[in-house]
Amino acid sequence: MLRDRYPDSDILAQRGHWDDATRQVILDRVHNVPPFRHFDARQRDTLEALCDRIVPQHHRPLSRRIPIAPWIDARCHEPAAEGFQYDDMPPNAIAWERGLAGLDQTASALFGAAFAELPPDEQDSVLRAVRDGHPPGREWQRLPARRWWIHVAIQEITGTYYAHPYAWDEIGFGGPAYPRGYAALNNGAPEPWEARERAP
Amino acid sequence: MKQLHVHLSSNWVLDAAMREYSPRETVDFCIIGTGAGGGVLTQRLARFGFTVVALEAGNWHDSESDMVSDEAGSARLYWNDLRITGGTDPLEFGANNSGRGVGGGTIHYAGFCPRLHPSDFQVRTLDGVAADWPLRYEQLEPYYEQMEREYPVTGPARFPWGKVHGYPYGPLQAGTAGQQLIAGCTRLGIPVVAGGPVAIPAGRVGKRPHCIMRGFCLLGCKVGAKSSMLVSHLPDAVAHGAEIRTGSMAYELPLDRAGRVTGVRYYRTLENGRLVAEEQHARAVIVAGYAIETPRLLLNSTSSRFPRGLANSSGLVGKFLMAQAGPVVWGRFAKMIRQYKAPPACACTEEFYETDPRNDFVRGYALQTVSPLPIAMAHLIAEESGSFGDELLAAMQAYNHYAAVGVLGEILPSEQNSVTIHPSATDHYGIPVPYARFSLSVNDRRMMRAGIAKAREVLMAAGAEETHAVNRYAHLVGTCRMGCSPSDSVVDQWCRSWDVPNLFICDGSVLPTQGSANPALTISALAARTAAQIRSRRGA
Repeated sequence: MLRDRYPDSDILAQRGHWDDATRQVILDRVHNVPPFRHFDARQRDTLEALCDRIVPQHHRPLSRRIPIAPWIDARCHEPAAEGFQYDDMPPNAIAWERGLAGLDQTASALFGAAFAELPPDEQDSVLRAVRDGHPPGREWQRLPARRWWIHVAIQEITGTYYAHPYAWDEIGFGGPAYPRGYAALNNGAPEPWEARERAP
Repeated sequence: MKQLHVHLSSNWVLDAAMREYSPRETVDFCIIGTGAGGGVLTQRLARFGFTVVALEAGNWHDSESDMVSDEAGSARLYWNDLRITGGTDPLEFGANNSGRGVGGGTIHYAGFCPRLHPSDFQVRTLDGVAADWPLRYEQLEPYYEQMEREYPVTGPARFPWGKVHGYPYGPLQAGTAGQQLIAGCTRLGIPVVAGGPVAIPAGRVGKRPHCIMRGFCLLGCKVGAKSSMLVSHLPDAVAHGAEIRTGSMAYELPLDRAGRVTGVRYYRTLENGRLVAEEQHARAVIVAGYAIETPRLLLNSTSSRFPRGLANSSGLVGKFLMAQAGPVVWGRFAKMIRQYKAPPACACTEEFYETDPRNDFVRGYALQTVSPLPIAMAHLIAEESGSFGDELLAAMQAYNHYAAVGVLGEILPSEQNSVTIHPSATDHYGIPVPYARFSLSVNDRRMMRAGIAKAREVLMAAGAEETHAVNRYAHLVGTCRMGCSPSDSVVDQWCRSWDVPNLFICDGSVLPTQGSANPALTISALAARTAAQIRSRRGA
């Protein structure tokens, strides 16, 4: 199902064409991954396993894997204002703690083991139960599972993944474009410096 | 009125000497908020010779150092203070629907600047629902014309919907994504505008640079090409003696014994990070904090005279909150699109804007180009398909084969959709936070379903192999509606409070209905009209 559409894409190599402020934000994201400070070892295992199922990275060499869980840990450790909170949801850090506990409870109810210890296909069954809104587990009595799935798990994990230039290489996104801009505007054409899509 | 020349450079004002007033000095006007309403009022009133202080909760955006070409790195552009959200269709806040910092939401809007149609001002009369405005289209028209010159807005020589009109500037070229809406509509025989109305000129305007087709308009225009209050009206306001006081969060409007407001109490964040309470004295106050913060401030300003909140004898402050329906519909094409190039705001059709007796709903929708960047696209795909894992990654690998269309639809006002003060939660200033409740009506749902179906049809006609859709919402209006009498509204047609003679409200919250037009231009036109009325009442 996955194929390497843009084997020649290396957006990070374009960083000399970016403005200073943008370059700093993106290089910081690539090079300064924060340490875990918020979640305990078990929560961390559950979170890492969750990230692995939502955006699997087995197709990437180790050196090109995108760290996700540390950024979620950092946002829970030092919560930034996010503009709103659903009236049936707790603050974000607590939503994460409850959701991770809920994943383990659902895993335990369905397959008799912690989420991180399950094989991938059983993990996916747990995630489908959460996504569909009625997973077994005490935590889900006080945490709306569907809302947690879309607005916490999916949004933050895919949001962290697709903020990374390695993910941009995978989808052929041109990335930052100031001050150079884009000139090839017709027929979906690439700029001279952009990678071509490889035919299937 | 003299022709205004407001096209200066993009951020010179950061270096310019700005007049500063002492809070104890009584100024003519204290304006709260610097977005599409507050920005124009600050500029107009300063030009008319009034002393003006505009309070802005956020900071100046220096386009070079504060704006980035990056989806995840742009949180500082948004109003991210806590709001509680509920109802059967709870709205998300922050990000695309509320701005923070000088320029407000105009910093990160896409730039679509259509006018309302004449019918929008008479929805009660024509359709038997919602409300009529206390003014007619023709009374706002001269101010639309002013704003289209001053922003400026680009578009065709003949815009065929609503009251037919033309635009003073020509549009940019459409990118490949925008071309799909144009092609699909054309194949179906649906009239479509191939460029505009969009506030991004093709070429330089004044000292403002030419657009570089960077495509990051929703994350602030680093170039300074897209019009915003930051590059259009606010530099001119400062040049004419207005003070824009940043880091200043209004929390209460004090009253004197005669029932007039005496100024604004606000928390100011000093350069060393310390928070101090200050009070700016003013002969009149204009609240322009948009549809959530404006009612919040009024509801938090209680007194023995106004126990339910300032200017709220009608009980309507906070009522009739509207979002605009903004479903995103996308098609997957065999050909390459690369939708991240060129401004997302490009082409539109308003062919389905008006009530059509063949529909099972009243009022309508517009179709506009949108171009989700990767993070937004991943959220859309995951939400619509429920997919995750390799399935989600594979769908995202086709990113460059998607073109999207936004349905911008008219949600009707409902008294149940409201902003109140949350009973317990406070923000980091200690100010009680707003609690917004929002639920769709049957008419709203039918309209959105029809809009999505039409967008799918257009994308298929353009060559899409499959289409997808997710409901989204944009633009918050209502909550302090204008009307013809003190019992049915909060302000009159000049945006003046019925209850407090020296208090004005001039932002999206005064709109009784919203049409299917992005509200920025209408808010600015109302602000220009209010400013003109203030000037004429002074007898200048």
